[in-house]
Amino acid sequence: MPLVQSMRLTLAYHPVTDICFGATTQLQGTTLEISEAALRQHLLEDRRLKHVDLAIVRPGEACRFGVVFDIVEPRAKEPGTGPDFPGIIDPIARVGEGITHVLQGAAVSVLDAAAPIAGGQLVEMSGDAGKACPYAAFVHLVVVPHVASALERHRALHALRLASTKAAVYLGRTAVPHAPADSAVFESLGPVETNRPGLPRLAYIGQIHSRQRVAEVDEQIFYGANTAGMVPVLLHPNEWLDGALVTSYFNRAVETYFYQNHPVITELYRWHREGKITLVGTIATMAGSDNDDRARNAMLAAHQAKWSLAAEGIILTKYGGGAPHADMALTAKLCEALGMRTAVQASDMSQDRRAESALLFNYAEVDAIVYVGGNDTRWTVPAVPRAIAGTPKAAEALRAAQVLDAGRLCGVTNQQGASHLRAFVH
Amino acid sequence: MPVAKMVGSNRIVQGGGIVHVLGDPDLPQEEEKKLRHDILKRAFEALQHTAEHG
Amino acid sequence: MRVIYYLNQFFGGRGGEEAAHLAPHIQDGAVGPGRLFEQILGAGAQVVRTIVVGDNYAAEHVESLNALAVQEVQQCQADLFVAGPCFEAGRYGMAAGTLCKAVKASLGVPVITGMAVENPGVDMYRSDIYIVDSGTQVQAMRDALTTMARLAWKLINHQAVGRPREEGYIPQGMLRDDFVEPSAAERLVAMVYAKTIGQPFESEFISPTFSPVPAPAPVVDLSKARVALVTDGGLVPKGNPDKISPYAATNWGAYDISGLDDLHGEDYEVSHRGYDTRYVEQDPDRLVPVDVLRELEQAGVVGKLHDCFVSTSGLANPIANSRRLGREIAEKLKAEGVEAVILTST
Repeated sequence: MPLVQSMRLTLAYHPVTDICFGATTQLQGTTLEISEAALRQHLLEDRRLKHVDLAIVRPGEACRFGVVFDIVEPRAKEPGTGPDFPGIIDPIARVGEGITHVLQGAAVSVLDAAAPIAGGQLVEMSGDAGKACPYAAFVHLVVVPHVASALERHRALHALRLASTKAAVYLGRTAVPHAPADSAVFESLGPVETNRPGLPRLAYIGQIHSRQRVAEVDEQIFYGANTAGMVPVLLHPNEWLDGALVTSYFNRAVETYFYQNHPVITELYRWHREGKITLVGTIATMAGSDNDDRARNAMLAAHQAKWSLAAEGIILTKYGGGAPHADMALTAKLCEALGMRTAVQASDMSQDRRAESALLFNYAEVDAIVYVGGNDTRWTVPAVPRAIAGTPKAAEALRAAQVLDAGRLCGVTNQQGASHLRAFVH
Repeated sequence: MPVAKMVGSNRIVQGGGIVHVLGDPDLPQEEEKKLRHDILKRAFEALQHTAEHG
Repeated sequence: MRVIYYLNQFFGGRGGEEAAHLAPHIQDGAVGPGRLFEQILGAGAQVVRTIVVGDNYAAEHVESLNALAVQEVQQCQADLFVAGPCFEAGRYGMAAGTLCKAVKASLGVPVITGMAVENPGVDMYRSDIYIVDSGTQVQAMRDALTTMARLAWKLINHQAVGRPREEGYIPQGMLRDDFVEPSAAERLVAMVYAKTIGQPFESEFISPTFSPVPAPAPVVDLSKARVALVTDGGLVPKGNPDKISPYAATNWGAYDISGLDDLHGEDYEVSHRGYDTRYVEQDPDRLVPVDVLRELEQAGVVGKLHDCFVSTSGLANPIANSRRLGREIAEKLKAEGVEAVILTST
């Protein structure tokens, strides 16, 4: 038996092209049939929920919905190969191994009924805005949990988080008895890899939370923990893909879907499989609450990348608003000082569209920047016959013709690497 | 401080904190005024010397 | 198509440096580069008037020259105003820039010029007008004029102007979004790979280099110097009479402190959203130290505390704006005999 084994995850893809409500919950060919009553009963085990609205939204429909709490891909582990969302649904155990069944093409989209519709995150399913929105290509089960009005906000949010994961796994389980149409293997030995000499060793440092917003005591982000007091931690790339992480409540331009389908990690894996690089590992970190927190996290992340991963090149992304750019840039600067080359992804922070005002950091060595725009892009969308929101009033506001900024549409200015926008200097 | 350095300010003196650049509400009034004197003294010293690029 | 063309004394065929004082000479038709430009522009385009001015004259008569150019364009009902290309010539570039900007701003008529990237006119005017990258070599005149002509046609026809590299102009520093085929993740991996193996890569953003501000000479004798207090912490008299915005302020105010040896919290308020303002509201001297400065003045350490302090809000203030504010404040204080400034910043 080899002393060191790699971590190997197989994603078993079961394509879904439609969802319908029916007598039972099962996967019939490429149609996911859902028993409303059974799913409701399952979600209402959480006594904090008064009732749950369920709706099906199909690609191309003249429909929009929001405010999005999170979007999760329906998935379930092959029994015996690991936990589903450990710390939230299942007991703590490692993810990223074995087989995970994926209902590909489907999405569970949970709405936050209490969030104000103005400025909130949305999905647009048709038209020009829909073309830009990656989620417009999926068939959605839109879930709107309604909590008791007296419930404290953080408990209501937790109820949403629980419902999102439970629904996703519940539906994902329909795939387990079926043979997948396709599969993908994610396997890497990590930093101890010695059989790939001469290939550049690349790693990913990703922020998973920003302490600009203090995480709630019961907020579950990382293996069910709220990240309070956490310092940067080494993670196998597969752990991001397989349920170790969900988004925090501060969810602008991030969705759990893009942890499960992490664009940077999957792209690194693609180059790894093609024999161009060695993916040596990842680090999950947080944007700090103050200068000391920032300095400490940046230092620890850079050191782990250097001395535990022996990385040569690093990709960094941020989470949250503007200040986390400083954390990302400082981390990159320290990586560069340790001899590692970096590339960072910056969001659009320009107030006046001037390049000189746009960046919130300025280190000469942090000179490889992918610049996701967004402040310049908006769509005038027409009135639509169908809008799903937390209240009738919000739905009415959503149905109306209006101008939608790119930053409001899930996936368009995504911070996890999914965005196809770029800000050019003219 | 970081922004001042970044944009190329030539003479920078660190004050008593963002919310009270020339003060410290935790000090009694006399002490606070003395602190203000000290900070300004450093500033005036800088003005009377050739700036170093830092 | 009717064109008004601006040239300096050299390109206007009037002589070299010795003719730099030349007052404006206006004639019908094209001169020098203007003739070539006319040809390249084609489609019956005609340079109807050429204005030739010496570089020194232009530098010293900006206002009247702007007015002259605007007048000419208006009177001739011109469709296009062209200046240069100026290559590396700094005074020429500054003149070309100010004239193009003035014509564009006053009349909305399309304008075009060309300069080398190093020309001081570029930094000043790049965001106001399109400046074609002419390079430094005068031998490249034809190429520069060709690029200028092509861009001019787009402006005249109200066509969308593409990216700097495509169209040949110097980046204006304005951001514009576009959807691209590769995702950000794909771009990140490709970029870090290239950087890691030492291959060239193209960053999607280049951090602004803040050109060093030359440090003024030290104060020779502080006991004779007039010192002013300036702040970006947003301290203003109660009622904020100049309506200084707490966020991205576009103006500053000067507030009388003559005879005062202390600032009282009840007379002031703070217009700034970026910090907890209560300590300054309790005692404004914590931000604008009038009390100590007055003591130092009385003790003879400092020559004179200036009669007013100047205030604005530095929160989320775009650099271009802050630059202007700083310049205006500096000009005012300098005119009032101030030798040194204590700038307090939150």
